Parts: sequence; structure tokens; C-alpha cells
Amino acid sequence: MNSKMANSTVALRAYRDGLHLIIRPHLSITEVEAAIQQEISRMNRSLAGVSVQIDLKSPTLKKEEIELLSSKLQETYDLTVRGVEVADEPVPPPIAAAPTTHVISQTTDTRPPRDSEPSRIIPHTIRSGQTEEFPQGSLIIYGDVNSGSEVKAGGDIVVLGTLRGSAYAGMNGRLSAVIIAMDFAPLQLQIGNYVNRSSVSQEPRGYPEIARIGAEDVIIVEKFVKF
Amino acid sequence: MGRVIVVTSGKGGVGKTTSTANLGTALALLDKTVAVVDADVGLRNLDIVMGLESRIVYTSMDVIEKQCELSKALVRDRRVDGLMLLAASQKNNKDDIQPEQMKAICDKLRTTHDFVLVDSPAGIERGFSNASAGADEAIVITTPDVSAIRDADRIIGLLQNARIEPINLVINRFSPQLVGNGSMMDQDDVLDILNIELIGVVPEDSGVINSTNRGIPLVYEDGSPGAQAYMRIARRLTGQRIPIHNFEQKGLLNNIVNWFTRKK
Repeated sequence: MNSKMANSTVALRAYRDGLHLIIRPHLSITEVEAAIQQEISRMNRSLAGVSVQIDLKSPTLKKEEIELLSSKLQETYDLTVRGVEVADEPVPPPIAAAPTTHVISQTTDTRPPRDSEPSRIIPHTIRSGQTEEFPQGSLIIYGDVNSGSEVKAGGDIVVLGTLRGSAYAGMNGRLSAVIIAMDFAPLQLQIGNYVNRSSVSQEPRGYPEIARIGAEDVIIVEKFVKF
Repeated sequence: MGRVIVVTSGKGGVGKTTSTANLGTALALLDKTVAVVDADVGLRNLDIVMGLESRIVYTSMDVIEKQCELSKALVRDRRVDGLMLLAASQKNNKDDIQPEQMKAICDKLRTTHDFVLVDSPAGIERGFSNASAGADEAIVITTPDVSAIRDADRIIGLLQNARIEPINLVINRFSPQLVGNGSMMDQDDVLDILNIELIGVVPEDSGVINSTNRGIPLVYEDGSPGAQAYMRIARRLTGQRIPIHNFEQKGLLNNIVNWFTRKK
């Protein structure tokens, strides 16, 4: 119930251009602060050093309140506010010029979380009934992930073969995690708490593809060109 | 020292018992000494498929319980030299046997036979672990459909964990007509998923039902496509190099028909 309340007040979302803090209208500053506290504690990972954009829906908080909020975010959670946007409409779609990557932090960030993270290499095909789980970081599979098997990672999942089973990236709630496979024919994809089944193609297309969370909070699968 | 090979599939009804009976008989026809062991305790069938059901007095359970000697429990197939059957008990169930006891039987049989073929029950539970306990090689049987392939994939994973190697694949009930019009996976699709060595493709053969009912393995009546396929697999098992038979339909008319009826 708590998380639902938090979602209706404020929400943290990862988009192509980075992390957005979305604040719903008709709220007092104390309500917003309490909701932010709740939302961040729910993520159970540190956001230190990450930059965030605040998206406000009108009618909005006062200017002094926004400044106060920015400094509080900086002090309490070590979050840098890189901009404030006020919108009448829902959050705009990702910027078209942005590269097809999934950075949560901007390139100017000195500590992208992925760098310090371990990865595990699975040097063989994962067969039906087998599960590979690596909450500490990313998984790289030198082989196929067959139908009936499952791969889970705290970070990204890279399959240097055909993905036919289920893949769950960002299992600790990281919404910027991606799933990449040379051939993409999964049973089910999950990133963070988003699940995708409908738009998944059962026939491999013959080129590598990447799955990530897109603008409308759905998992999108598209041709993988480069990071 | 003989080779102990477990014949398994995961899924039921894909032709483990039929393949065990035919491969055992085919190897015996190639002058090898063979023991076929039914590991499907409680649901035995191998004796029927081989036509030896009326001659079974003792089973592997009696050997384990030391009611009789192993040599006494073996039923000799009189139609060919060097072929023996060790039947499973129909009264007991799979939990009455320990994997070590099966391994002991297999190890004893391999001292007197060139090949020991163990017919595994369906499933991945105790019956499978009993059947694979004494094996150093495996033959995985699958049919070209997704559910059989997924189960075969599961079994291959378990066999690899148990360090059983090599694992050879038999694609059973293969229908060139259905592959031709795009409604059945071809052997490349199957191998792409399972990624193990293919030792043979057995075409769909209506003679199998009749042969099972009469208790005469197909390979006794040479000439049917199924019998020839099993003979080729047996030859490959003995180390002969025979290319995998191509069942794709030939001829201009078929090519034209296939061209128009293909999917994708």
C-alpha cells in the first residue's frame, strides 16, 4: 500500500537522457519530501552522485520550495538536480537526438555505477530447467539461453547466442538495465519491475537486439547497433 | 570392458523403448554382445517390444535382493546370438532401487558384454537417476516438436552435470513430408537448439506399431526405412563412419511444391 501511495505522489523513472523525478500536482512540500524519502528507500540501492531532472505537473510548488527541495536532495541523497521542467501534460517522450543507450547518469558523471560492478561469464549454453542468477552485477553468456531456462542479473544480460528462455535484468530494481542477445526469441523479458511478453517476437530476426525500458514505461526491443 | 549407454529423453512416448530394442538387436546383428536393461521399474515395456515377456522369471529387483544370480536373471533372445534382456520388476516402484545398485548391475554386465543399453523411464526423477547411474554414455531420443525438444534439453543439462559423455542425439519420428511443407522442424533447427552430436534420424514408420505389437523389433525385417535407420545408428555406435541420411524429398515436382507451400 505504501509503495502505491509513493507512486501516486512522486516517481523516479529512468529515461534515455537520465533519471527523472516526477512530482504530481496539488501537493505540499512536506508531502513531497516524505514521498521522495519513501521512493528512494524502496529502490534499495545508493543513488549517490546521480543527476536527476525534476518534472513538475502544474499547479506546481513555489519557486523557493523547489530550491529548497533541490538542496535537500543534494544534502540527503547526494543527488544532483540538473534541471527543473514544468509540464501541463504527462512527461514528454525521450529526446530524439539522444543516443540509443540507457545511461542513468550523464557522461559528465565521475562514478557511473556500472564501472565498479562485477560481471560473471557463463561459458556454456544454459539449458531448460537451469537457472543462472547474479544479483551483484551483469551476466555474459557464451552460448544460448534455451527455452525453459532463466537468467537473472542485477545489471545487464548479454547473450552471445540465441535467447529463447526468460531473462530478468535489473533484478534489484535498476530500470536502466538492458538485455542484449545475438538472436532474440525470449519467452519473457523483465527489467526492474516491468514484464514484457506481448511484443516479444518468437522468430529471431537475424540481427542482435536490445531490450530496455522505453519512454512509456514499457519494455521495448529494437535492433542493437552499439552502446 | 563394455560400454554402458543410457537411452533417455525426458518426455515420454518419443520412442526410448522402441529405440533401445532396435539398437540392441541391431548391435547383436552386427556380432556384438549386448545386454539391454529395462530401468522402468513398475512400468516395464522393453520385454513386450522385444517379444520376451513370456520368458521372464527373474528381474533386476531379484538380483538386487539377492534372490538369484545376475546371469540367471538375463533372458537370452534366441533369434540372434549375444543379445540378453534384464527385465525390470513390475511389482515394485522406482524408489525401491538405489542408483548404486543399478550401477553395480551395469558394472557387472559390462564385463561380459560389448554394449549395455539401459532403457530409461520418462521423467527426471529417481527412475532417470537410477538409469543413468551406471552409464558412461547417453543417447537422447527426441521427436522434432518443441515440447520433446525442451525436455531433451533439460535431460542433456542433467546428463552434462553428471559428467556423462558423449551425449548423442537421435531424432525419431521424422517426417520428410511435414518438413517439406514447413509444418515440422528440420534436423538443423533441432540441432541448433540442442547443440549435441547427431547420431541418427529415424523416419516416421507405420511398421513400428505392428512390430511392437508382435514383439519383433523392426531391424529383424530389414528393408523398412525405420529398420535401415536403426541399423545405421548401430553401425555408427560401433565406430563406423556413415554420413547422416538425408530424408528430404527429392525430385523437381517436390521442389516446386515445397517452394510454394513453405512457410517464411
